[in-house]
Amino acid sequence: MEFFIQILIAAVVMGTPLLFATLGGVISERAGVINLGMEGLMLVGALVAFVVMLNTENYFYAVAAAALASGLVSIIHGVVCLMLRASQIASGLALTFFGTGLSGLFGDKLMGETVEPLSRIPIPGLHAIPVLGPVLFNHDVLVYFSYVCVGLSWWLLYKTRLGLNIRSMGEAPEVCDSLGLSVMAYRFFAVIAGGMLIGIGGAYFPLALTPFWVDGITGGRGWIAVALVIFAFWDPVKALGGAYLFGLALALELRLQILGIDISPYFLKMLPFVLTILVLTLVTIRNNRRGIQVMPAALGKVFFRGEKH
Amino acid sequence: MGRALVLSGAFLLVLIISWLFFLAVGIEPLAAYKIVGEEIFLTKYGWQDLLVKMTPLMFTGLAVALAAQMRQWNIGAEGQFHMGTFAMTWVALHFDGKLPDGMLIVLMLIMAIIGGGLWGSIPGYLKARFGVNEIITSLLLNYVAAAWIDHLLFGAWRDPGSNNFPITREFSTAAQLPNFGNTSIHAGLIIAFIFVLIVAWILWKTQLGFKIRLTGDNPDAARYAGVNIRTLTILVFAASGAIAGLAGFSEVAGIHYRLQQNISIGYGYTGIIVAWLARNHPLGVIFSAFFMSIIFVSAEVLQIEYGLPISMVYLYQGIILFTVLGTEIFTEYRLRITRFLL
Repeated sequence: MEFFIQILIAAVVMGTPLLFATLGGVISERAGVINLGMEGLMLVGALVAFVVMLNTENYFYAVAAAALASGLVSIIHGVVCLMLRASQIASGLALTFFGTGLSGLFGDKLMGETVEPLSRIPIPGLHAIPVLGPVLFNHDVLVYFSYVCVGLSWWLLYKTRLGLNIRSMGEAPEVCDSLGLSVMAYRFFAVIAGGMLIGIGGAYFPLALTPFWVDGITGGRGWIAVALVIFAFWDPVKALGGAYLFGLALALELRLQILGIDISPYFLKMLPFVLTILVLTLVTIRNNRRGIQVMPAALGKVFFRGEKH
Repeated sequence: MGRALVLSGAFLLVLIISWLFFLAVGIEPLAAYKIVGEEIFLTKYGWQDLLVKMTPLMFTGLAVALAAQMRQWNIGAEGQFHMGTFAMTWVALHFDGKLPDGMLIVLMLIMAIIGGGLWGSIPGYLKARFGVNEIITSLLLNYVAAAWIDHLLFGAWRDPGSNNFPITREFSTAAQLPNFGNTSIHAGLIIAFIFVLIVAWILWKTQLGFKIRLTGDNPDAARYAGVNIRTLTILVFAASGAIAGLAGFSEVAGIHYRLQQNISIGYGYTGIIVAWLARNHPLGVIFSAFFMSIIFVSAEVLQIEYGLPISMVYLYQGIILFTVLGTEIFTEYRLRITRFLL
């Protein structure tokens, strides 16, 4: 039982960066813009958070700087695929290259440096609940902030005019355009806001998970998040479940070895990626069978103003 | 013409950003450019290295371009590269000395094709059968393949005499590709050119190639014309993976003569850019592979001279791809500037 709870705690911790990134992806894709640059943006966020943390030893500055930097870098994505109307897929890949290179180049001198990881702050009252208490309410600040972000994203997308407009941009941009809404402005907003969340997801790695710098610190989690956006049906609340499910797979990778189960560590390393492919396949089959179209209808399509559709 | 202009622009941007970076880390930019230019173009080794680095890029670029002719994204060339090296190394380690002369290397080549091809057909099958997004699956499989290679290198295949380094034993000469004279350029380059020609011939001179291009341009028309898109998708992905697997074969049998970590320094990912720069044309791949090879060798020179990390290559690749994408609107459309923005 104790071990079981430990695994669930680890699942939440490992799932947190995925959750931030998935939320960012959901917001961006709801507005109709695919972001395949998540891995790159997370690396930028991780790098900036680590550098700021080293210099200021202030967690708030580190997270804010990471969000700001990733938001800035995602402007490039916005300019290239919204203003210059290039392929969103190619632009996202370029973003991944860019972020990987940036973090590799500037992170090279940081190898071996360490920062103090975020400490756990139990929430008074709530953390005493059996099972749920330790699993959900005895974590660091960023985990709590991720809960808030889930709520905020849900509220933004479904309860505000801004969110309604963002969602409409992903479904029928030409209608929005004819109503006098700027497709460009809303999509830009979504790309940058999404990019900032993805950057915070990246920041979680050096600030909590691995408090020292290693090259490629995110280890492909950005790509898992790309798949999680689909798995979560472009919904912030379902993103929560998806992220923790994959957090569980990542947690098992660490814990099964401690239990002394004789599996090659490299097979455990494959587990999250294989699981992602498997789940993605099942979700696609399910959608095909039920004939439901949950994907934003205009996702990935270049919007040409004034063109007939 | 437009493309040459864009590439020069991208190159200029790379120079400018490097300038800023050099200043930031305290390197004299002009001196750095001079060293890189001289090392690459004025020395024998520079030219050799350009052709050596160009070889895997031709394969991976060709792999991505072939799939892209059908409007399919194969961004798993990195993993297919690794599975190619896995399959050929298995042959090299188990059949060394048991086959007649010349057979071993041929069998290794075939195995690399099979290894990469099977790995590539996984995203192809999932896409064709269930419609699963091939971008994500092909990319995720890269991580699986890398873990599989690590599993072997840190386990069963580790050379006992390697002082615990994760490398296999060196292959015998029967498992090595011949070099040109005294240079480091090896027969892999010839094989790359042959495959470029084969793919170009298939695409434009055979019915199969017509079907691939038709499906890429207009899947509905292809379906009405009786093209079996499912089978074709799997086939193209398998072929694409096989070519990427050959990149692994050429690197291991042509340069390293053993399986070890980091044989691919991102060649598979760079294949995406090589293909994009070539507009997915096999013959164009020759030139864009050469162009990207310049970037790789430059980064290598900078690594040796100034100790800069090789991951710089990725940054340059990002900048180049962004530049090419950003200027496509100017080369593909005639714009009226009046209603350009917003």
